[in-house]
Amino acid sequence: MKKIRDFINKADIKRFRFWLQLFFFVIFIYGGYFAINLGNSIPVFSCGYDREVGGMCYFLPLQHQLARPLDVLFSVASISVLIGFVTFLLWFIVFNKAWCGYACPLGTMQDWLTGLRKKLGIRYSTYTQPQFNKLKKIKYIMLAIVILSPIAVGMGLLGGEWRTAFCQICPGRMITPLFVGDVSQWSLDFSTKSAMILTSIGLVFTGLFVVGSFIKKRFFCFFCPMSAMHYIFSDAALLKLKKDGDKCTKCGDCYNVCDMQIKDIADDVESTNILRDDCIMCLKCVAACPEDDALHVDLVNYPIFKSTKGGFVKRMEIEELEKKND
Amino acid sequence: MVNFIKRDKDDIYSKPILGFLFKNQKFLLTLKLVVLFIFLYAIYYGFAHTGKDNNFTYAVFWGIFWSLFMVITLPTFGRIFCGICPHGFVGKYITKFGLKKTMPKWMQNRYIGILLLVIGWWGIYYMFPGLFRTPLGTAALFTVMTFIAFVVYFLYKDMSYCKYICPIGTLTRAYSKLSFTWLGTYKSACNECKTFECATACPYNLKPFTFDSRNSMTDCTLCMDCSAACEAVSFKTKKPSFSLFSKFQTLKAEVWTFILILASIPITMSFHHGIGRSNAANDMIWSKTAEFLKNYINFGSVDAVGLFAFLYALAFTVVAALIGMFIASKILQKDFKKIFYDLGYSYAPLFILGSIAHSLETFFMRGYERIVEGFAQGFGFSVDVASLAKRGDSWLHMFGLLKWVAIAWALIILYKRIKLLDASKVRKIIAYPFAASLVIFFLSVNIYRGHIIDTYGRASGGHGSHGGGAMFQSVSKDKAIILQSGKDKHLCSNCSMKLPKFYKTNHAAHLKDETKQYCSIHCLSEAKNIKKMPLRDLKVVDVTSLKFIDAKEAFYVVGSKKKATMSEVSKYAFALKADAIKFSKRYRGRVVNFAEAEKIAMKDFDTPAKNMASKPSVSDVVYFSDKNPIPKKGKGSHGGHSHGGWGKVPSKKVWPLFEDSSEKLRCFDDIKAELYLLDANLKVSKLNQSRDRGCKSVSFKMPANGYYNLFYKAKDIENKTLYISTSKYEYMRFNHSNDAVYDNEKMAAHSIKEVPFDILRLREEGETFYHRLYSGEKIRFKVLLDSKEIKGANVTLSTKTGWSKTVKTDKNGVAVFTLIQDYFPDWDKFDRRHQNKFLITATYTKDAKGEYLYEDYDKVKYTSTYSSLYYPGESSYKSYAYGLFAASAAAIITGFIIYFFRKRREKPFKEVKFNEKN
Repeated sequence: MKKIRDFINKADIKRFRFWLQLFFFVIFIYGGYFAINLGNSIPVFSCGYDREVGGMCYFLPLQHQLARPLDVLFSVASISVLIGFVTFLLWFIVFNKAWCGYACPLGTMQDWLTGLRKKLGIRYSTYTQPQFNKLKKIKYIMLAIVILSPIAVGMGLLGGEWRTAFCQICPGRMITPLFVGDVSQWSLDFSTKSAMILTSIGLVFTGLFVVGSFIKKRFFCFFCPMSAMHYIFSDAALLKLKKDGDKCTKCGDCYNVCDMQIKDIADDVESTNILRDDCIMCLKCVAACPEDDALHVDLVNYPIFKSTKGGFVKRMEIEELEKKND
Repeated sequence: MVNFIKRDKDDIYSKPILGFLFKNQKFLLTLKLVVLFIFLYAIYYGFAHTGKDNNFTYAVFWGIFWSLFMVITLPTFGRIFCGICPHGFVGKYITKFGLKKTMPKWMQNRYIGILLLVIGWWGIYYMFPGLFRTPLGTAALFTVMTFIAFVVYFLYKDMSYCKYICPIGTLTRAYSKLSFTWLGTYKSACNECKTFECATACPYNLKPFTFDSRNSMTDCTLCMDCSAACEAVSFKTKKPSFSLFSKFQTLKAEVWTFILILASIPITMSFHHGIGRSNAANDMIWSKTAEFLKNYINFGSVDAVGLFAFLYALAFTVVAALIGMFIASKILQKDFKKIFYDLGYSYAPLFILGSIAHSLETFFMRGYERIVEGFAQGFGFSVDVASLAKRGDSWLHMFGLLKWVAIAWALIILYKRIKLLDASKVRKIIAYPFAASLVIFFLSVNIYRGHIIDTYGRASGGHGSHGGGAMFQSVSKDKAIILQSGKDKHLCSNCSMKLPKFYKTNHAAHLKDETKQYCSIHCLSEAKNIKKMPLRDLKVVDVTSLKFIDAKEAFYVVGSKKKATMSEVSKYAFALKADAIKFSKRYRGRVVNFAEAEKIAMKDFDTPAKNMASKPSVSDVVYFSDKNPIPKKGKGSHGGHSHGGWGKVPSKKVWPLFEDSSEKLRCFDDIKAELYLLDANLKVSKLNQSRDRGCKSVSFKMPANGYYNLFYKAKDIENKTLYISTSKYEYMRFNHSNDAVYDNEKMAAHSIKEVPFDILRLREEGETFYHRLYSGEKIRFKVLLDSKEIKGANVTLSTKTGWSKTVKTDKNGVAVFTLIQDYFPDWDKFDRRHQNKFLITATYTKDAKGEYLYEDYDKVKYTSTYSSLYYPGESSYKSYAYGLFAASAAAIITGFIIYFFRKRREKPFKEVKFNEKN
């Protein structure tokens, strides 16, 4: 038992993550080729506009369901909306935000762009703290668009093209189908004014997405409404990222490796549940923490991955460095 | 006592406006005086003006006090209704000079108040609907209650009336537990206090400084007397219903209030007003019980159905609560009473939120108008406002959400309260659904009501008319003025309908010496203009006074929402223009004179239905259309949709049409052809034409996903030629279900052996349920004669704009067309879902000898049609070039911005060095 635990704690989380991301990428983007269908309540951006999708992003069906006429929406007929939502929750509460860090195809693409940048030796960008605090609110605005715009369609306030307003401006709609050779989403729709505005915003966002995630790690996740939606329900999740403030030395390693620039991970020594709304639960911080047990990942209060001195030493290749120095 | 305290951020007293509203004693006193004045004045007004025209009393008591103000404030700000209640306000002074006795034990019973409300008010409300809602009834009721209240205040101390006798005292106490406000004290100040001013100031003899530690405000009515006595009293905002999330001394009467109010208001309303207004109302148990007992008991003027709906609702609700809680208590191995009264608080949100929804809906539809006009009337001036919403406005359905919030909220409270219990986790989880029995019952009643109304439909008469389905036009026989004489004087001279039944649209005229009376302007115009009778001195009934006036002087409201007589467009006449305008404001429509109204009435006679239906001659090409050839007035005709609500089998209705020799579009008055349906599972069945008057149609049900093919086959003989005419309508039904499987075999084009000559639209590679035809695409048809491909048949594609192309089938019997783009609207009118109709006609002539209907022929002429539609192609409104340009421009511009931004910095941004590998 101890051996297994030691093995896990010393694991090369980076490699593990790379392969798991690739696995989920294939499942979600190419699932259709293998007749895999995980339904359409998946809590990641595996875009439904990809015709071979192996499990659809929950927002596409959610928006369609919310756009029903209000009297239907608030009637018994909408039990199906509830069922979809419960399925979403069931998927989500098992892995919490680890969906973002390990399964989201759009996140994986950003990680690959980051890898490319690293290969090219280009410096990455960061936000300053005030910028960070302002920008992080955008994802809640996006979530409001996801929910309110189809309801407004159902009320008859907006035209039908606002039904999936968020999908129209989401870069995932353009980029994801590219992987199965479908470029049909890369077009500007001139059929109505609002369709034109929405699709051009979407295409501009796609351009920004590519450049942004090239120079800023996980650029889009910062504005992702799914991330906001996750955070609302994250208290109920089974998988948790926890911190033992007493053991923290505030060395800042965790903050430095964090793709999402979450300061609390290093600064906050009060809260035990250290998951913040931007967190993608990539567990880089746990891997980078040099203190025994300061950070750990719990599944229903049972720690499955802990920060350890040994693991830190192994991952940093300190022993080899020392050997070299000798 | 302290004179100054540093208030917390969440203290309402520290807020600028709200603090003034809730704390300023002068303002509160003025407010209470104003409310007392309105209360007394409304009662006086009720006695003084007992007629129906008294809107003021109604507006005060049933527009504002109950239920709008009360139900909205209760679960939000708490019992502020009690804080300004005239009874409590005056009662405080009466008690001061009164006898201050202690109330006898038997009267210190909260069930007195609850039962007064449940039986004395709601019971009577359901038995004699409308009794209390008259001005006199209202005034009398409140006079009696005020008298009782004052006597009790005079006799007993500590405002015992509010606590025990007041019908809504316990109700407000119970539901205010959901509010987000909390009256408490600052502990730091109270710890050193020896004088207890807050307790002495309280007219109810409560101790505000114990509220926080007891986690209960007990009988506090938020009269704010204590906050005037001591600054340490706070009025804070908290999480809604936070006090229910921790322990406190439960009060049995409160739990019973939740249950009984739930039974007597939403559940009974669902039974009596919801299901009771559906077509299935008579099959319900309360109706049947009432019917059954009517044989033995004389109910007199009692509404027996309402009474039994009420009794059954009470019984069902109580039983649902008791049984669930009993099982839960057994699972939790606890005393039943403890479980029942501990967990029963979770019922609180069920009634009150639904009631808010109902009150707000009523307010926007009728209440606002009644309140404003009522108050104006009470204070002697006249205003006329339009209501804020119309029944059926879609945004009103937003309030429907509150019912679901209530259910979720109840489940959360139950979860929190069950958590407080001391039992094992597994037992709690198992007990939870049983403890939620009443919530589930409430949910199922709602679902059932929706189901009944969806399935059986609303009975005519609808909402609002309590006494059954009388029509707006009708008056009783004694009120109707009959001008004509003779045996049939009660019947319309033109159509023989009963005149009093349609009295409000009655017309009359002189014909020679006789007087003729007509049910409506429709019959009058028919007699005058079509039958050309020399009618003169036209008269019409004034809807306001119900007397006959000169029609030429009358003001007609045309096209209002009130139903018409003999027509689709209603026309009501008024003597005064003001009345007509008022009517048109309320029910829409526009005001016109008689000549205009007559012109509109005459339009009834030139609807196409009467001269459109006929039968085709042998050479006419017949095809199916999914659009009603006679568009209904008012409603935009939107064809192409299949009908069917949620959970119902959708159906499709199509009309066979043809063009006659003068190229006029015509429909069938009688379909004499054979009709077949090939359903999604490839089963063939015979169909019959509809029983509509005018244009005949065919409808079929579509239970499964897939293509449905409707076939028409007719044979006729003329000039030694046998004409075989067939047509086909192909429609795909798809319900967007995830389980639907696209079976290539079933989804392929099929013909049936009953149809000798047929057109098949060949499927292209990779068609799915989402398949549609778009302009620019190639489309292939195969023509079959006696189930074999036929070479050399003429196939014509013609579109609505008149474009057509004819090709001959090749040796495989296939004809290929390209769907042209013939939709060129202005950009702002472009509709990407525009349906271009097209028609495929195949003809083939064969020499064959034979006999049909005892007549010889030597030629057979086959004609077949296939009608369908296509949408504008993507290339007509989508541009890849612009799309790619927008995306790459954004990428390149940001790329450059970042590049230059980085370059301009002399020193690179302070870089944090670490091993990025991790």
